[in-house]
Amino acid sequence: MKYVLTIIVGCLCYTAAGLAQNVDLATLPGRDTVQLTIYNSEDLTLAREVRHITFKQGLNSLQFSWAGTLIDPTSVEVRFKSHADELELLDSTFPHDKREMVYWNIESKFDGVAEVEISYFTSGLSWSADYVVISDPDEKQLRIDSFIRVYNNSGEEYEDAQVRLVVGTINLVEPIAQLAQSAMDQFYGLELHFSRAEDTRNFETLARARRALDKAEAAGSVFGGGEGGRQEREKQIIKEGLSEYFIYTIEGTETIRNGWSKRMRSFGAGEVAFKVQYRYRPAEYGDQMVKMFLLRNDTESKLGTTPLPDGTVQVFRDNGRDGLSFLGQQYVKYVPIGEMIELNLGPDAQVIHQLVRQKSWRDDFWFHRAGADIYFSPTEGHRIEIDDNVVGWWDHEQWVERIRNYSGKEVNVEIRRAFDGHVEYASSLDPTLYDFRTPQITATIPAGEIKDLAYQINRAQGTLAQQYNVTIKKSE
Amino acid sequence: MRWTHYPLTLTLLLLMLLCATPTAQARIKLVTLPLRERVEIQLEHEQVTLVEEERIIPLAAGVNEIDFSWNNTAINKESIQFRAVSHPEQIKVLSVSYPPNENALVWCVSSSGDLSAKVRISYIIGGLQKSFIYKALASHDEKTLTLRQYLRLHNFSNEEYGNSGVWLGFGDYFQKQIGLNETKELLSARFDEIPIVKSYTCDPAEFDYLDRGKNQLMVPMHYVIKNTKEAGLGRFPLQPGKVRIFQDDGSGGNAFIGEDWGPFTPLDDQMRLYLGVAKDVVVKRTIKKNEQHRLLGNLFNQEIILKYEIENFKDKPVTLDIREALPYVRNESIGSRDRAVQWRLDNEQMHTDWRDTDPTRVDADTVMFHVPLPARSGEGKAEKLEFEIHLWIENEW
Repeated sequence: MKYVLTIIVGCLCYTAAGLAQNVDLATLPGRDTVQLTIYNSEDLTLAREVRHITFKQGLNSLQFSWAGTLIDPTSVEVRFKSHADELELLDSTFPHDKREMVYWNIESKFDGVAEVEISYFTSGLSWSADYVVISDPDEKQLRIDSFIRVYNNSGEEYEDAQVRLVVGTINLVEPIAQLAQSAMDQFYGLELHFSRAEDTRNFETLARARRALDKAEAAGSVFGGGEGGRQEREKQIIKEGLSEYFIYTIEGTETIRNGWSKRMRSFGAGEVAFKVQYRYRPAEYGDQMVKMFLLRNDTESKLGTTPLPDGTVQVFRDNGRDGLSFLGQQYVKYVPIGEMIELNLGPDAQVIHQLVRQKSWRDDFWFHRAGADIYFSPTEGHRIEIDDNVVGWWDHEQWVERIRNYSGKEVNVEIRRAFDGHVEYASSLDPTLYDFRTPQITATIPAGEIKDLAYQINRAQGTLAQQYNVTIKKSE
Repeated sequence: MRWTHYPLTLTLLLLMLLCATPTAQARIKLVTLPLRERVEIQLEHEQVTLVEEERIIPLAAGVNEIDFSWNNTAINKESIQFRAVSHPEQIKVLSVSYPPNENALVWCVSSSGDLSAKVRISYIIGGLQKSFIYKALASHDEKTLTLRQYLRLHNFSNEEYGNSGVWLGFGDYFQKQIGLNETKELLSARFDEIPIVKSYTCDPAEFDYLDRGKNQLMVPMHYVIKNTKEAGLGRFPLQPGKVRIFQDDGSGGNAFIGEDWGPFTPLDDQMRLYLGVAKDVVVKRTIKKNEQHRLLGNLFNQEIILKYEIENFKDKPVTLDIREALPYVRNESIGSRDRAVQWRLDNEQMHTDWRDTDPTRVDADTVMFHVPLPARSGEGKAEKLEFEIHLWIENEW
């Protein structure tokens, strides 16, 4: 086990300037506890470690160094958890000739041990979510298991750490990994820049995150009991909302060695009802009909206790022969509570979609005459001269979306096809408008049947095109 | 079981403390090596192969550490799953740890008692892939065909699976030895007495001319089979693959007459297998009439007559499929336009018996006729048949 982070207490009464040459090693207090709050939207972890340090009355010097880690030097803070009114931080010094080190001069009014919390931001720790979905053979119900996986590439061993994972997006103006690569004196110009109010978002955001976490901690809701020993049941992962974030707290403590990652089940739900839908949405899924599993992140679906963080979903089906069939894999973005979870399984060889244009024709022609400012239409009784030119007309197209269902069960399809221009969409299929240019139709195709979903497109062209949208015309 | 031939190893560590406090830098391995009891290779997905293996693992009461590692195999680490088949209520996976720079993981599994558990480990693996080939044997009279579908399972996963179940997602289930670096070819389906149609098709847009100067069209030949139950197929969609075509030579042997790539063929669809260009069916195509009829202003209709002179030099009658793509015809007659073609036949009753209006074969831009051609006469002379398509392309300018 290596301890990269070291803390050295020097019982010295020198000026900070003299410390660089005159550090006496007095003690090397180990960590008592460490807590990691890991964000998944940024390469950022807030580490808080508690150590017991012996102070002598008068001026005490603490040296804190973090060689070989990815700690942001601008974020290192010390706080006195006990004897707070008897200890005072006088100054912090980042020596010019030693990167990854800070000296603290602390005035103590007592002789004895105090509990000190050192916090800092580090990069190299991260976490991700993933999901495993297994549907029953009939595709009526499924089981979903959510996992979280914590990665430690920070260069530091964290033993028996309390681990908290933050779901949500925060703003950083500089990556922590970049800050970690810089010596403190390189921040001189940067701080001048940040002294302007509008450029302080970085520190304010992080400070806000720290304050929010402090508040949750003070309420006693975040920390689980320390549990460094053996565990014979699955650890619970406690989920709590906090401001715009959700915090997952892993029960007890975890040891995540440098270079390792660890995956644990976050939650699971069985017998979750879901819908199968076949969708043709070229703008979203390409020019193919795809099979979707649809469920909602709500209590009715035995979910809904937490938003679902971004992560990969692997979808299987119980093949009814004592095994699984792989159906697909998809990266899903953050799913809020109450939102739909849409799993795209790709095309299904058993449900065939064909888009067929059956007929095209034109009518209602309008003509322009050279030198005239008006248009002429034979249907309006206007006389058309031989030199008049077509400048406006209606195009008509009859289409069918042919669905062949060989799946052995009834399927629901939804077709969402966008059209450019000034378009009328006529159909007896009760179409609705998804947006100004995208009609949507739905249908149920019984097992073993072929269904032609027919519609007609009328498109105003040339001078007759006065809109850029689709209007629905219900037809018999 | 030879260690060197089994890159996948499963190690059970009964050193239970490691689950909670893995303080040792070097990892301890190999306490037991449970054999595979059963392997299933799931090839149902178009691109992904899923392997499921079952092993009997002795578990002690408390927390057990199970080390799963692999070398030189393309296992998707994220896809690996561990499920208890027996004692599911007594066995829980507490966590999975992934060591650095190793193709390995360690499951921490709790057991409520000392027991032998059957567990199923599944994962997606690369290098274990499938393809399909077909062998088609046509009867001597080219009326029927026997189609054999073979699965080729290429095991370049660097893992030997031994006696394994193989499931394609359709058809039969197989139990085969899957050796290291070997390709196994299995007869996955056989269909007998499939009716075939031997088609002769001319379509200048798709197949072009054989001799442009003489206006002689290319006439490719195809065997056409339908993936329907009525045709003796129709059990499942036919996967894409190379089809080698043979014909019964009538004297107890057969002759190789060509090969083609068979496309993915859903149920009820046709598979058309290209056999080559017919030399004995000669089709010359000319535009006999191309005349503009002014309507109003610059708006006009174009009257077109396509003339085909057809000779069948074969000693048996055949049917010629004449197909025209109307955008192609418009380009020839009046030049290209960026709007849809509005067209009609001069007389909708024209060649009604021969016209194909099946919406699965023709659409708004296609017209097709099946023209019967008599065999050449006994004297060796072929009757020259003239066939015309009289059509109008309307409302152009």
